[in-house]
Amino acid sequence: MATAPAAAAPPAPRSLPPVPSTSRMGFSELSVRERMREKLKAARSKAEATLSQEDLGPRPRHLKSIRERKAELRLDKGSGDQLGELQRDESLLSSKIKFSDSVKKLKQKSQAQSDYPSAEEAYNFFTLNFDPEPESIKAGARKRSELNEEEAEEYVETHEEEQEEDETDEDAHLVKDADLFIMGQTDEDFLVTKPAECERYSEQLQKEKEFLFIPSMQTVPTSQKMPENMQPRYLEDEGLYAEERPFVSPSNQNILENRILRQEKGKEWFGDDGRILALPNPIKQSSTRPPVFSLEEGIAPELETIYRKAIRTTAANQYLIGPGDFQGPFQLDIDISGLIFTHHPCFSREHVLAAKLAQLYDQYLARKQKNLTELLTDKLRALRNAVQCSMDSAAASGPTAQQSIPEYKIEIRQTRRLRDAEQEKDRMLLKSIIKVWKQMKSLREFQKFTNTPMKLYLRKEEVDQRSDEKAYEAEIQAEINELQEEYMEEYEKKMEEYKTELQEWKSWKKAQKSKKKKKKDLREEESVEDYDVGEEPVKPVPPKMVDSLEIEQQVREKANNFRRKPGEPALIPELVLSGSITPSEQCPRAEVLRREDVNKRSAFIKVFFNSKEVSRTVTRPLSSDFRVHFGQIFNLQIFNWPESLKLQIYETTGMSSTTLLAEVFIPVPETTVLTGSAPMEEIEFSSNQRVMLDHEGVGSDVSFSFEADGSNQMTLMTSGKVSNSVSWAVGEKGIPLVPPVSQQNTGIPSALKNIDAIASIGTSGLTDMKKLAKWAAETKLDPNDPNNAALMQMIMVASSGEAHVPDFFRLEQLQQEFNFVSDEEFNRSKRFRLLQLRNEEVAEFRNYKQVPLHEREISEKLFQEYEKRLHERDVIDSKHYLDARRAVVANYLQKVRESVINRFLIAKHHFLLSDLVNEEEIPTLGILGLGLFKLAEPKRPLKPRRKERKKVTAQSLSDGDIKLLVNIIRAYDIPVRKPVTSKLQQPSKSSRSFNEMFAASPSAQSPTNNVDWAFDQVLVRPFVEVSFQRTVCRTTTAEGPNPNWNEELEFPFRAPNGDYSTHSLQSVKDEVFINVFDEVLHDVTEDDRDRGSGIHTRIERRWLGCVKIPFTTIYFQARIDGTFKVNIPPVLLGYSKEKNLGIERGYDSVRNLSEGSYITLFITIEPQLIPGESVREKFDTQEDEKLLQAAEKYEAECTSKFPSRQCLTTVIDLSGKTVFITRYIKPLNPPQELLDALPNSSQTTAELVARYVALIPFLPDSVSFAGICDLWCTSDQFLDLLAGDEEEHAVLLCNYFLGMGKKAWLIIGNAIPEGQTAYVLTLEQSQYVIWNPSTGCFYRQYDTFCPLQSVYCLISCDNIWFNIQQWDSPVRISFDISKPKLWKPFFSRSLPYPGLCSVQPEELVYQHSDKAAAVELQGRIEKILKEKIMEWRPRHLTRWNRYCTSTLRNFLPLLEQNQGKDVEDDHQAELQKQLGDYRVSGFPIHMPFSEVRPLVEAVHSTGVHTIDVSNVEFALAVYVHPYPQNVLSTWIYVASLVRNR
Amino acid sequence: MAEVHLIGQLLGASGFSQRRLFCKWGLHAGGAWKLLGGLREGQTQVDDPQADDMAHWCHPLDVHFATKGLQGWPRLHLQVWHQDSLGRTELLGYGFCHVPSSPGCHALSCVTWRPRGSGVTQRLRHRLLGGGPQLRAPDLIYAGADRFRLRTEAAGTVHVELGVLLRHFGRYGVQC
Repeated sequence: MATAPAAAAPPAPRSLPPVPSTSRMGFSELSVRERMREKLKAARSKAEATLSQEDLGPRPRHLKSIRERKAELRLDKGSGDQLGELQRDESLLSSKIKFSDSVKKLKQKSQAQSDYPSAEEAYNFFTLNFDPEPESIKAGARKRSELNEEEAEEYVETHEEEQEEDETDEDAHLVKDADLFIMGQTDEDFLVTKPAECERYSEQLQKEKEFLFIPSMQTVPTSQKMPENMQPRYLEDEGLYAEERPFVSPSNQNILENRILRQEKGKEWFGDDGRILALPNPIKQSSTRPPVFSLEEGIAPELETIYRKAIRTTAANQYLIGPGDFQGPFQLDIDISGLIFTHHPCFSREHVLAAKLAQLYDQYLARKQKNLTELLTDKLRALRNAVQCSMDSAAASGPTAQQSIPEYKIEIRQTRRLRDAEQEKDRMLLKSIIKVWKQMKSLREFQKFTNTPMKLYLRKEEVDQRSDEKAYEAEIQAEINELQEEYMEEYEKKMEEYKTELQEWKSWKKAQKSKKKKKKDLREEESVEDYDVGEEPVKPVPPKMVDSLEIEQQVREKANNFRRKPGEPALIPELVLSGSITPSEQCPRAEVLRREDVNKRSAFIKVFFNSKEVSRTVTRPLSSDFRVHFGQIFNLQIFNWPESLKLQIYETTGMSSTTLLAEVFIPVPETTVLTGSAPMEEIEFSSNQRVMLDHEGVGSDVSFSFEADGSNQMTLMTSGKVSNSVSWAVGEKGIPLVPPVSQQNTGIPSALKNIDAIASIGTSGLTDMKKLAKWAAETKLDPNDPNNAALMQMIMVASSGEAHVPDFFRLEQLQQEFNFVSDEEFNRSKRFRLLQLRNEEVAEFRNYKQVPLHEREISEKLFQEYEKRLHERDVIDSKHYLDARRAVVANYLQKVRESVINRFLIAKHHFLLSDLVNEEEIPTLGILGLGLFKLAEPKRPLKPRRKERKKVTAQSLSDGDIKLLVNIIRAYDIPVRKPVTSKLQQPSKSSRSFNEMFAASPSAQSPTNNVDWAFDQVLVRPFVEVSFQRTVCRTTTAEGPNPNWNEELEFPFRAPNGDYSTHSLQSVKDEVFINVFDEVLHDVTEDDRDRGSGIHTRIERRWLGCVKIPFTTIYFQARIDGTFKVNIPPVLLGYSKEKNLGIERGYDSVRNLSEGSYITLFITIEPQLIPGESVREKFDTQEDEKLLQAAEKYEAECTSKFPSRQCLTTVIDLSGKTVFITRYIKPLNPPQELLDALPNSSQTTAELVARYVALIPFLPDSVSFAGICDLWCTSDQFLDLLAGDEEEHAVLLCNYFLGMGKKAWLIIGNAIPEGQTAYVLTLEQSQYVIWNPSTGCFYRQYDTFCPLQSVYCLISCDNIWFNIQQWDSPVRISFDISKPKLWKPFFSRSLPYPGLCSVQPEELVYQHSDKAAAVELQGRIEKILKEKIMEWRPRHLTRWNRYCTSTLRNFLPLLEQNQGKDVEDDHQAELQKQLGDYRVSGFPIHMPFSEVRPLVEAVHSTGVHTIDVSNVEFALAVYVHPYPQNVLSTWIYVASLVRNR
Repeated sequence: MAEVHLIGQLLGASGFSQRRLFCKWGLHAGGAWKLLGGLREGQTQVDDPQADDMAHWCHPLDVHFATKGLQGWPRLHLQVWHQDSLGRTELLGYGFCHVPSSPGCHALSCVTWRPRGSGVTQRLRHRLLGGGPQLRAPDLIYAGADRFRLRTEAAGTVHVELGVLLRHFGRYGVQC
C-alpha cells in the first residue's frame, strides 16, 4: 500500500481520459502481461486527458455505485471466478453493446491523435511504479459487503476512469482500520473466560421425562394383551403345527409389548396366544446381503483357502493343476462274485422246502457255532459252585460274602431262564428241520421226482445212559431246589405284604367302626362317607404255600419238552447236496416246463455309482440251483467321495424281456477297507413283484400251500443274496486310492446339509434313500415344517420311485440346442482334423507346413496312410512276417517304440535355460592373447591346415541345402572273374564275353595253361554304384582287382517331411548303399562280317558285394573315413578270390593279410550338421541313491579328462528305468546244441556261438527310438524279441563267453560304420580277441582291419574300467585292466563292489527249433521271391531252370554247415559239371531272418533280374536253418544262367 | 464349425506389491470347443524389472479353437506369482477375463485379487515368512458363482494384448 499515496498525490490526472476498454468480463483470465498492456494504454492516453475533459462531465454522479461494483468485481477476480461467472452471464449482453460503443468512441479519439506514445510517456511508463491494484481493492472489498448488482452495466464504461478515485477512497478506509490496532488494547479487554456450561444430570432427566417415554421391562400379563373375556389359545396344544419363532430376548420383547400397549389399538398386535403377531420365521434362509462370515466355521468347501508356505518349485510343468495334494483318480473296486436266490418264481415246491431247509440248517449251524446253550449251562454251573462256596465260607468271611449270595442267586435265575429259552429254541429248530425234511420227503414221493440235491442225515450220537441219567437227574434236582428256594422267597415276600395289608385293613376297619359311630351325629357328612364305602378294601388273602411236588412236576415237564431225554441219542442233522436230481425225461410235463423256464432265465447286475450306471456284469444264466456266478471285479476310477453305491439286479427271460428284480444298496466302505483284505459280504434283497407261472414254479407273491386241502397258505416273494465286496484299491506304491476325508462331506446334497438327520443316522445313511425315508417315518418329521421341505420332497421322490432327477448328467445344459452344427459334422471337418493331428505331432503330420484354408483343398488321401496305420496297429499281419511269432514281436516292438517316442516328444518340449538363452562367453584375456599370437605367426602356405567347417543349426535349413558327399577312393582284393574252365565249352563267337574274346579265347582250349592266360586277362572291371534316397550315382569303371577311383559323388539330402530339426534327422532311416559291380561287356555282333566295321556289345553288370552305412551314423559321426570290409557273398559264381591265382599271389601277398575285399571311403555331410543332444530325461530307478551319485561323479570325472570318450555307467532298461550297467553282465548258458556240435574245439564253438548271436536280427535303437537313447534289453528279453542293436548282441555274446568259462568283457567304444557301439573282448591264450557281436567276426588286437576304432570302457560283471591311456585305438592300448594308471576302475578300494544282483535271468531256456516250420517258411520265401523277380521283369519272360534250382538247393545246407567258408571251389566245380553248357552267374546271400522285406530288398539290390538276354534262365533256392529259440539263418541262392551256344 | 484364433501376448503386470513376478495362465473353454492347435496353458518366465514397476513378460499366446456353439466362450485365467530372493514362490493374485468376442486387436487389462488370510497370525506369517492362502480349487477363479463370499484383497493388473480372428461365425448367424 505504500504506493497508493504516491498515486494519489498528483490530483491532476484525476480525470482520466476514457480508456478504450477491452472486454472486462474475462478479466480474471487475463494474464499479467495483458494487464501490463492495459496499463500501457492507460499511460498512453494520459496525453489525451485534456481533450477528453468534456466527456468526463456527466459521469461523476454514478461514481460511487460504480466504484462499489468494481470493488466487488475485483474481489471476484482474486478469490475465484464463481461469482464472476455469475456476473459475467448477467453482463454479457450489455457489455457487448457497451463494448462496441466504447470502441467507436475510442476510434473517434484516436483519429485525432497519434497512436504512439511520446518519449516522456514511454519513460513514465517504464519508471512509474504501477501498483498492483487487486490487493488494495481486495482489502476494501472486505469491508463493503453489500453489492449493487443492478447497475452492473455502468461498470464497463467507467471502470478505467474511476480507478484513481477508487484508490484514494480505499486508502481512507485503510487508515481507519489501522487506527483500530494502534489504540493498544490487549486481549483481556475482549475475552472473558467462562466455565463450561453444564446441565445437571437430574435436571436433564427431569427435562427428558417431559418428552420421553421409557417402557418398562416388566412382563405384561396376558390378560392385558388379550381382548376382554378371551382365553389365550395355544396352537401347539391343539396339535397344530406351530412354527418355532426366532429367539428374541424376553426383556426386549417385554419392552416392545409395553410400548405397543400404550398405543391406540395396541391389542391388535397380539395374536390368539397372547404373543406378538409374527411371521413363522421372518429370518430368511439366505441373507440378501452376503454375510461377512466368520472364518472359523461353515465355509463352502470350494471357497476354502489354504495357507501355503512359500515353496520352491520343483517341476515347472505343473501349470494350473491344483497345487499340492494328490487329486485322484481314486479307485473303488467292486467285486461281484455271485447271486443266490432264496426264493425265485421258478422255485418248485420242493425248492421252497429246500430253501427253507437250507435256511434252517444255516440257522442251526450258526447256533451251533455260537453254542449259547452250552455257554449258559457252564455259566450256570459256575454260578452254582460260587454260591456253594460262599455259603460254605459265609461264616468265616462275614457280611460281604453274605451280601453277594442273593446277587448270585438272581444271576442264577436269570441265566437259567436264558438257558431254558435257548434250549427250547434249539429243540424247536431241530424239530422244524426234521419236519421240513419230512415234508420234503413226502413231497418227493408224491411228485415222484426230485428237484434238489439236498439230503438230510441225522447223525445219532450215543451217550452213556447211566451217567447221562445221573446228570439229568442232578440237574433237575438242582433246579427244583432253586425253584423251591425262589418260591419260598416269593412266599415270604408275599406273606410280608399280606401282613402289612392285613394291618392296614384292620386299622381301616377300626376307623370304619368309629366313623359309623360319628355318622349318627353328623348327617351332613353322609355323602362323603358313602363315597368312602365304595372304596372299602377287601380283606387280604394269605398267600399259598407252593407245593414241592408241583414244582418238580413243572420242572420235569419242561425238561421233557426242551431237553434231550436221558439216554436218548443226541441228534445232529447234516445237510448234504449229494442227492441225485431226476433227469428231465422222467419228470412230468409241468416240471419239464419249469426246468426249461429256468434254463431260459439269466441275470445280470448293473452297478450304479451316485445313481449313474457305471458298469454291468455279463449276463449269466441261472443255474438249476438258482445260483448265478459272476465273479467280476469292477474298478471304478473316481474323483470324489461316493454318495451312493447301488446294485440293480436284472433278470432276463429268454431273448426278450428284462425285468428289474431288486435294488441293493451297498455301503460305501470305510477308508481302511482295502482291496485284498476286504471280506465278501452277502447282501439280501427282495422284490415285491407278482409273478404267476403256468408250470410247477410257485411264482412270487402268489399264495400256495403244501397241504392237500389248501390250508396253511404261504406267500413268498422273490428274494436272494448278492455276495460282493467293495473296497478301495491300493495304488502302485501301496498308497490306498481313497479320496481325502475332507471330500466326504462335499458329496452330500446341499439340501441336507443343515438337518440333523446326519447326526441320527450317520452320513452313510444319507447315501441310502430308503434308510433316510425310514428314518423320516420313524422320527415323525412334521411334513408341514418348511425346514423339512427339501428333505420331504426328496424322500417323496425316492419312495414314489418316480425319479424326476434325470439319470444322466449334463455338464452344459442346452448346449445341444444352440449348437451350430452336429457333432458328426464337426468331427468330419478335414481341416480341423489336420490341424489337430499336426498339433498332436502325430508322426505323419508332425511337420506339415501349411494347412489349407478351405475344406475342399484338403484331399482325402492325406489321412489314408494315417488311418491305415491306426487300423493296422492291432491287426497282426502275418503276410509280411511269414511267422506268427515274429509278427507278434514286431507288433510289440512297435508299441514299445510308440510309447518311447511319445515320451521323447514330451521331453522335447521341456527346455532348459541354455536352450532359450544364447549367452556367448566373454573371451578371457588368455584367449585374446592366444589370438594375438596367432596373428603374429608366420604364414606357411605350403602347410595347409584343416579348417573347422562351420556348423549349421538345423532350423535354418530347407530342401536342397544339405548334400551328402561320398568319396570313393579305392578298393582292395575285389574278386576276379574265373576263366571258363569247362572242358565242354565251345565258345561261340557271338556269346563270348567281350573281354574274354581277345584274352581268353586262345587259352580256352587249354585251361591248364593258366600262366600265359593270366597275364593278358582283364581280371575284373569293377565300378561302384552308390544309392541314397533313391538317387543313384556311379563311378567310372576301373580295372583290376585293386582299383583306384578317387571320385567324389554328391547326393542331395531330403529330410522326411522337410523337417530338418535334429530330432527328425536322428530318425532318418535311410541308408547309403555302396554296391560294387563288375562291368562285363558282351559282344553281341551277330554277324562276323560286321566285326571289322562296327562294335556291338552289351554291357552287363554283375554284383560283387556291398557296404551299407546308415545315414544316422554319418550324421552323428559328422564324417566317416576308413576302410570297410565289403560284404561279399561266400560264393560268387564265375568269380574267385585273387589269391587263388598263383601268379598274383607272388607280389600281392603283403596286402593279403586278411581275407575279403575292402573299400576305402570318405563320407560326410555338407554343410556339417550339429548332432542333437541326447534327451535329458530323468528316469525312474531302483538303484541305490549313493551308487547313482557315485556313478554321476565317476562319469563327470572321466568326461572332464577325456571329453570325447563316452563313459557309460547306467543304462535304461525296456521299462524305462535306470539300471546300473554291470547288472547286465552275468554268465549265461549258450544253447546246448551249439556246445555239443563240436565238443573238442573251443575255438570253433566260440565262433559258432558268435555266429548264433549274430544271426539274431539287428534293429538299431537310435533309429527307432528317435533320440540317442539306448534301451537295453536283458538277454532273455532279447531272445524273446529276437531283435536288438549292438548292445544287446554284445551283452548276450559276452554272457555266453562268460558262461563258457572264458574271460570276457564288454567294450564300449567307437567303430566304423556303427559309431558308438559295444563289442566283446575275450582273453584267449594270453591274447586279446575282439568280437563284433553283430557280425560274428573276430579280430586280434593288432588287426589293422578291425572295425573297432577306439575303446572307451570295459565292463565286467563287477566293475567298470574307463580308459585313461593317451590313446584309445585298440592297436595302441594295453588291455591290462589291473593297472589303475591305464584303466580307472569304478569300484575300487574306496568304493567296494556292493554285490549288485543281476537283472539277467538265472538261466536261459531255449525252445527247440521247429524244423517243419522252417521248411514251410523256406517254401513261402522262395515263392514270394520268385514272384518278385517276375514282377521286376515286366517286359520279359522269366524262365526258371529247375535243374539248376535243385542243384543250388543242395548246396545251401552245405554252406550253412561250413558257415560259408571254403566251399567255393567244389561248388563251382560241381555246378560246372552239371550245367556245363550254361554260363552261370549268381551267389548265395546269407541273412538272419526277421521279416521278408529285407530279403526281397537284398535280392533286388543285387540286380540279378536286370539281365535282359533273351534266353536267360533263373534259378533261386532258399534254405532256412533253424537254431534254438527260433533263430533262423536264411540262405538265398540266386543265379542267372545263359546257355552257351 | 466356426473358428476362433487367438494370437497375442501376456505383456506384463503392474501394480503388484512385489517384483520378480511370473504368471501361470490358462485358457478355459466350454465343452463345445475343440483345441486345434497351440498350448492352452503355460507359465511365463520370471521378470525382475529394474527400471519401473511393470514386469514385462511378452509371453506369446497362440491358441486356435474350433467351436460348434457360442457357449463357453474362452476365458483367460491368470495366476500371478512371485519368486522371492530365496527362490521360493508365492501367490500374488488370481484373475480372469473373457477373450474379447469381436475380432481385432485388443488390449486387455485383467485386474487380480488374492485371498486374504484369516486372522492376524496368518497375515503376520504371510508378511514375515511369505506364502499365503491359496484357493483349494483354483477353478473357482473363473467358475463358481459365489466367489463373492471370499475375503480378498486387491492385487495388481495383468496386461494382455490379444488379437482375435473369427471365422465362419457369420455362417451361423452370429454377427461380430
